[in-house]
Amino acid sequence: MPVNFVPSGAEMLRILPEIILVLAGTLIMIMEPLTRPANKHFLGKFALASLFAALWGSVVAHANPGPAFQNMLIVDGFDTFFRILVIVVGILTVLASFQYLKREQSDSGEYYALILFSLVGQCVMAGANELIMVFIGLEISSIATYVLTGYLRDDKRANEAAIKYFLLGSFATAFLLYGIAWIYGLTGSTNLTEIRSALMDLQTSPSVMLVGTAAALMLVGFAFKVSAAPFQVWTPDVYQGAPAPVAAFLSTGPKAAAFAIFVRVYATAFDSISARWEPLIWISALLTMVIGNFAALVQNNIKRLLAYSSIAHAGYLLVAMTAHSEIGIAAIMFYLAAYALMNVGAFAIVAHFSRRRERYLQVEDLAGLGWKQPVTAGLFAIFLLSLIGVPLTAGFFGKFYIFKAALEADLLWLTILGLLTSAVAAYYYLRILVVMYMHEAGEPASTLPPPGAGLKTALWASAVGTLILGIFPSLVLDFAGRSATLLK
Amino acid sequence: MDHILSIVLFTPLVGLLVLLFIPSSNARAVKLWANIASFAGFLVCLPLIFRFDRTKDFQFVEKADWIPSLGASYHLGIDGFSLLLVVLTALLGFLAILSSWNAIQIRLKEYYAYFLLLQVGMLGVFMALDFLLFFVFWELVLVPMYFIIGIWGGPRRVYAAIKFIIYTLIGSVLMLLGILMLYFEHYSQFQVLTFNIADLLQTDLSGTVQWWVFWAFFLGFAVKVPMWPFHTWLPDAHVEAPTAGSVILASVLLKMGTYGFLRFSLPLLPDAAKNPTIVNIMAVLSIIAIVYGALVSLMQKDWKKLVAYSSVSHLGFCTLGIFALNPAGIAGSILQQINHGISTGMLFLIVGVVYERRHTREISEYGGLLRIMPVFAIVFLITALSSMGMPPLNGFIGEITILQGVFQMSFNWAFWCVVGILLGAAYLIWLYQRTMLGEVPEKNTGLKDLSPREIAVFAPLLVWAFWIGLYPRPFFEVLERPVAQIVERVRPGYYAERNLRNPLASPSPAARISAPVPAGD
Amino acid sequence: MLEGYIPIFIFMAVALAFPIVALSLSKLLRPAAPSVTKLEAYECGIQASGGARGRYTVRFYIIAILFVIFDVEAVFLFPWAVRYRQLGWFGVAEVAVFLGILIVGYIWAYKKKALEWV
Repeated sequence: MPVNFVPSGAEMLRILPEIILVLAGTLIMIMEPLTRPANKHFLGKFALASLFAALWGSVVAHANPGPAFQNMLIVDGFDTFFRILVIVVGILTVLASFQYLKREQSDSGEYYALILFSLVGQCVMAGANELIMVFIGLEISSIATYVLTGYLRDDKRANEAAIKYFLLGSFATAFLLYGIAWIYGLTGSTNLTEIRSALMDLQTSPSVMLVGTAAALMLVGFAFKVSAAPFQVWTPDVYQGAPAPVAAFLSTGPKAAAFAIFVRVYATAFDSISARWEPLIWISALLTMVIGNFAALVQNNIKRLLAYSSIAHAGYLLVAMTAHSEIGIAAIMFYLAAYALMNVGAFAIVAHFSRRRERYLQVEDLAGLGWKQPVTAGLFAIFLLSLIGVPLTAGFFGKFYIFKAALEADLLWLTILGLLTSAVAAYYYLRILVVMYMHEAGEPASTLPPPGAGLKTALWASAVGTLILGIFPSLVLDFAGRSATLLK
Repeated sequence: MDHILSIVLFTPLVGLLVLLFIPSSNARAVKLWANIASFAGFLVCLPLIFRFDRTKDFQFVEKADWIPSLGASYHLGIDGFSLLLVVLTALLGFLAILSSWNAIQIRLKEYYAYFLLLQVGMLGVFMALDFLLFFVFWELVLVPMYFIIGIWGGPRRVYAAIKFIIYTLIGSVLMLLGILMLYFEHYSQFQVLTFNIADLLQTDLSGTVQWWVFWAFFLGFAVKVPMWPFHTWLPDAHVEAPTAGSVILASVLLKMGTYGFLRFSLPLLPDAAKNPTIVNIMAVLSIIAIVYGALVSLMQKDWKKLVAYSSVSHLGFCTLGIFALNPAGIAGSILQQINHGISTGMLFLIVGVVYERRHTREISEYGGLLRIMPVFAIVFLITALSSMGMPPLNGFIGEITILQGVFQMSFNWAFWCVVGILLGAAYLIWLYQRTMLGEVPEKNTGLKDLSPREIAVFAPLLVWAFWIGLYPRPFFEVLERPVAQIVERVRPGYYAERNLRNPLASPSPAARISAPVPAGD
Repeated sequence: MLEGYIPIFIFMAVALAFPIVALSLSKLLRPAAPSVTKLEAYECGIQASGGARGRYTVRFYIIAILFVIFDVEAVFLFPWAVRYRQLGWFGVAEVAVFLGILIVGYIWAYKKKALEWV
């Protein structure tokens, strides 16, 4: 075989963030049993440092774009955007976890190592140009998150959540793999660019039915990962059972990466058969928005409420996906960035507020927080207002770009229904604000200790980010817009 | 470039930022600073009045790139119509804060912070010449108002606050849809993405598009005005809000709706605005609001609810005037908006004065206050007369001008207007009789008359009420051009056909509203 | 395109038909004379006691998991061995990284006392 297997130095540079994350994760694993329990928090600091290094690594990789490893991975603006996004999510999660793990007396290196490994998978997903890489990235990311979900192993709910997530997740990936196999059988390739050209030829042949089925099978896998209806059922149980910082991570990092491959596969490889999958996503988008928003209305558990809200947000993202345009892709990218900041922030506050063993998770428990801890509550209010989509927060422009893209694609009805459900959504976020500011302070709010340094940093960073994206959206949107055009 | 509008807009914001650093334990400093900041906010808008040139359209224009990829810019400017509303906002914003000195005892810092933020949003709405910027300010107003009602309001405050925000949110998301439809229409014709209102005016819209965009805008604006049948949030919000909140809500926030109709619906969608079906629907809804609001006011036992429903009735006059689509109707409507800001603002302040003393708003709890609080009773008398449209007060001028405009359009409409005016006189006089005249109940004998601070709150509004009532000319002069712009846009050649002097053809060949505004103006 | 699948379809049809035909044939041909004795436990005649879901100590699972990991490790080495010459030093380096990561896992398991039976 004349193929030269040895990657060039440039190719190694293109996977620099992954290399850094793998090395750091492995190092943490080997240091973990060698560290005394009192010093375990150093492992967290080390993980944080390595995440910043990975951030630098993705900037270096971006300076040197192109394909790597026989076109299995591709480093372009799209890849860099999502790499940076998931690594930032990782940084915020790690910062928010210090105090939590200490409180639960579960500070250990494995937690951080698993986050790093999961991020490796997500970075691979962001740059995958190959269905096999898509699958491998997805599995690396998922397996680590299955373990993270059940990280508090004495907790019954966490165990239930982990098992549920694992079983349903494996099932969904099986569908995805089956779809990949069909595609390989039909086109003779797993490379997205080659599939794209093969499908263009297939346009006229009768096997387009088979291609449609394959695309639908893969859709099941992706829809599960982004918690789109009707494959969203696991989300509330898993987010509720998982430790709150892990829920913050799950609802943003893996979701963003899953959307990245979702977009890349469907907008690149399946571009020519969009007539087959657009109607499916149209229906899914509507269902997801309706189910997410209406189910969230009746939730009393904050984690469950945020879980349903995250389903609803996936619905908005699917609206942009249905638009199937570069503007829609840029809107998805911007929205995911905005959503990551506000949702990590919201979950981080829930993690802090819930106290040991997550006792205080009812909406009513937040009563009077606005007066007992004005700063924490104020930050929470910013995240919630952003989730509603009030102007001057990132959430507003996120929704604005998505519905703008949808209108541009003539999806008038989907836009109207989406806007109406998003107005309904205001109610359940406002309920939290009502309880925080308009009810008398109860015991949970009065006894809340102030947030630690790490959590504080994470909260302020997310809040400032939310506001900056809300006032000067061009900063991120222009990069997203440029990257979306590269995607072909 | 002149930055005066930015200064006016951001003075309250600077005040807010400084306020955040004042310790909340020092209640006096917080109050004092909030008053200083809002008074400064009023003072900085005074140069606008003196430097305003009524022979020009949009003035003090500022423009800077904001989101270039969307064609959205930070674009401010005011014409005569917005000038009046900006001054009204600045003045009432200050008076509302001044009136809260004793009324609000808890969580002062947050209270004043929300008021200053509200002020920024309201001023922004009236200044923005970019549709996206307008929408951002429009929505920004909701948040502080929601908290003001929900935290410092009455017993059913949470219900009222949520109702207020959900109604307006649903209205405004549909308005956003309309904005985007317009934006894309413009893009498909000019291949330029822009939210600049002057550019959007150039778009050639088909009747169907205008029809749908009009209804999308309608939902946003009608909820805000509020027009019947979207008014149900208003009584709840007013009754539960603290006095200053009600004042701002009635005097300024509701004007955002009518402002929207006049600034956007009419000029941008002239064919829809003069479509007979739409005009008739608007007129019928307005007349229902006028008569229904007045009848419900008559039946109220709660003083504040009475004033709230009277707002529905008065705003009905304003919307009816708008859809008379002639200079008198529109100018009258604008003037009546200002009048309503003054007189209803004062009526809410009056309810606040007695509520602060007695902690009840039941009309039957009062009586004979004329003897105990003579100054207060005189202020109330003037306010009531102003509100019911008695010469020589401001309400008369506004109502008579609207009536003149409406009469040109239809005798029937004018008839119902007169019915509404009579009913308005009835409920106000009856209210006055029940509260100020008659026997003094035992528990009211110890009530104190207005304090100097309270008189200071009422004085500027009373002066303004008399000013408009006795010498309205400067107001009409300022409004001449903006009104003519709207009328000429909706009914081109209106002035020429009737041999009227067209204010736009005045000696100074000022830029037309539809032409790009020259920079550095 | 679909013609290629015809043998598979035939095969599936035969596979489905076979058990149906066989079972129904025997049902038709055999004598049916049920009795209590026939339903008793088979052969030794002792009644079963206890549940079938007996519990094993968790250590068996840990050992089983570790076995699977290090067993699969060997499987991964085969393709490398087959392509050893083409891959050259790069292949050696790759396998070294692979084994290195596994050794880290081994050390971790060892230090966590996963290999001790107490």
